[in-house]
Amino acid sequence: MNAAVPSTTDVKLAVNLGGLHMKNPVTVASGTFAAGREYSDFVAVETLGAVTTKGVSLKGWEGNASPRIAETPSGMLNSIGLQNPGVKHLIDHDLTWLRDIGATSIVNVSGHSFDEYVQVINALEATDLVDAYEINISCPNVDAGGMTIGTDPASVREVISMCREATSKPMIVKLTPNVTDITEIARAAVDGGANAISLINTLLGMAIDAYRRKPQLARAVGGLSGPAVKPVALRMVWEVHKAVDVPLLGMGGIANGIDAIEFMLAGATAIAVGTANFNNPTATVDVINGIIEYCEQQGVKDVNELIGALQ
Amino acid sequence: MSHLVNEKARILTNENVGPRLHLMVIESPIIAKSIQPGQFVHVKFPDLEAHILRRPFSVYGHNEKSGTIDILYQEVGSVTRLMPSMQSGEIELIGPIGNTWSTDCTRALLVGGGVGAAPLFMLAETLKHAGTPFDVILGAQTKDALVARDRYKALMEREPCCATDDGSYGSPGFCTSLVEERLSQGCIEDGAPYDFLAVCGPEPLMRIVADMGAKAGVRTQVSMEKRMACGIGACLSCVVDTVDGKKRSCIDGPIFEANKVVW
Ligand SMILES: Cc1cc2nc3c(=O)[nH]c(=O)nc-3n(C[C@H](O)[C@H](O)[C@H](O)COP(=O)(O)OP(=O)(O)OC[C@H]3O[C@@H](n4cnc5c(N)ncnc54)[C@H](O)[C@@H]3O)c2cc1C
Ligand SMILES: Cc1cc2nc3c(=O)[nH]c(=O)nc-3n(C[C@H](O)[C@H](O)[C@H](O)COP(=O)(O)O)c2cc1C
Ligand code: FES
Repeated sequence: MNAAVPSTTDVKLAVNLGGLHMKNPVTVASGTFAAGREYSDFVAVETLGAVTTKGVSLKGWEGNASPRIAETPSGMLNSIGLQNPGVKHLIDHDLTWLRDIGATSIVNVSGHSFDEYVQVINALEATDLVDAYEINISCPNVDAGGMTIGTDPASVREVISMCREATSKPMIVKLTPNVTDITEIARAAVDGGANAISLINTLLGMAIDAYRRKPQLARAVGGLSGPAVKPVALRMVWEVHKAVDVPLLGMGGIANGIDAIEFMLAGATAIAVGTANFNNPTATVDVINGIIEYCEQQGVKDVNELIGALQ
Repeated sequence: MSHLVNEKARILTNENVGPRLHLMVIESPIIAKSIQPGQFVHVKFPDLEAHILRRPFSVYGHNEKSGTIDILYQEVGSVTRLMPSMQSGEIELIGPIGNTWSTDCTRALLVGGGVGAAPLFMLAETLKHAGTPFDVILGAQTKDALVARDRYKALMEREPCCATDDGSYGSPGFCTSLVEERLSQGCIEDGAPYDFLAVCGPEPLMRIVADMGAKAGVRTQVSMEKRMACGIGACLSCVVDTVDGKKRSCIDGPIFEANKVVW
């Protein structure tokens, strides 16, 4: 079976995400696609707008105990715990592969301290293998008192300005939805120097096994993703689009082209496919083709016409 | 890495074979041709939109000529309880996934608890074909639940050793006492000691049998079944703790050397 590729079309699909040129608006949600190799039997990974890699830290993290996932109605919870083998492994093993196949890469960066983010970026800046960074500010962080940085505007501004000094490449800041006012955090990220905002990360949730009287996840709580979170994600993209001037990378439950169009209408310039890959390994290319089909049907000549075009 | 396909397949039959146990025969010619002992398929059923994850099932049997594979499944939760009503129709299978059992042995003992008998059957076929002597121990709660017994019996041309929790067939109690007995007496055919133990079943069973294998100095492999999301190595949902760190049970496994697993 050949890997799926997007259909040919006259519709203009290219978008500019804060300085990152994407041949189409579709990337993957970090952590759901590894660096793409595992999906390469199913989709031609280099045909995606970009590949966003799994969150990477400096030396690597073990991640959480098992069970790490639970299915919930139209969604799933995960507590992978940002398991990763460290930035050197990512460079040697994955980013070189992505370059060799001609893919556009977005590297998702995580850190337990503000300084760790900077060190990861420094290690990546020493190569020429990164097209853009996505800074995940949803990790629990020692410099934010063990709390998630992404819930405190002052911490967000501080860590993002430190990252800004370390790179001049396009920098996307990925927001957590577990806040009262997402626009406040988005403004802090832009003040810190973000070129784009991505949202949403997973929503904190829980699942319980009534018969065993135990949480389903070893860590009790985890992040909710999949179609169940789409309405929340759309609302947040719409709010942030009105609040800041930088482009947005929208995600949360996108499984087909129409879902993607909805995010673009709400204000997203590009979108990411995450949990949907698990059910449908060609979801990424299917979403691109769904966007094309919508545009052809609706007489849209350039996808950029759709961004924030909600009436 | 071997090539994976997402094959559009068709349910041919799906019959009740024991208490909450069913045998599904699926037309899936590409996977039927390439599946190896111990590998599994990651299945998407139609019209289950609220269930966003596929479900993994070992391949119990395959027939290259008819292009079919068999799945032996137990009702344990939401999707497996819906499966018996699917008497026909299209499904999608990602496969063949995972590594395979070792066949590098001269005397093998296969131990299957419950539906754990399924992923061992193709290993038994391979050993039989290679002329390697092997014995089989099957455990289940009741006689009715010993659903793999006939298939093993037909292959081996003799009874597998069986144990039932309620004593309704074979040796009463857990099958671990049968494992102990075989390890001390050696291969039924010639009394020679086993040099390979392959185990699949509930984790506590695998752990006990792995300990027995270690004590007897017999190489032991186990098939680890963890909850899976992607099923193809991308999401890190399914990790097993090993002496070499966390490994993905979907593609680094599902078969692991028992002495490498940190239980
Ligand atoms: C590689 C592999 C091979 C498998 N082969 C077979 C097989 O041949 N026959 C068979 O009957 N089952 C097999 N299983 C288990 C099967 O995948 C689960 O029973 C099934 O996914 C449960 O789905 P459900 O919706 O009915 O249960 P859910 O409603 O999702 O869960 C019900 C209960 O089942 C448990 N469960 C969920 N997923 C798994 C899992 N992957 N492994 C074990 N328990 C689980 C949950 O913890 C929960 O307690 C295999 C699993 C793996 C990983
Ligand atoms: C298994 C899994 C692992 C994830 N790992 C990361 C990660 O490493 N870094 C990150 O920023 N987001 C991570 N996420 C969040 C996703 O990138 C995405 O924001 C979220 O799942 C919502 O999109 P979806 O509903 O399309 O999956 C992960 C999500 C899942 C399901
Ligand atoms: S299920 Fe995703 S890595 Fe194993």
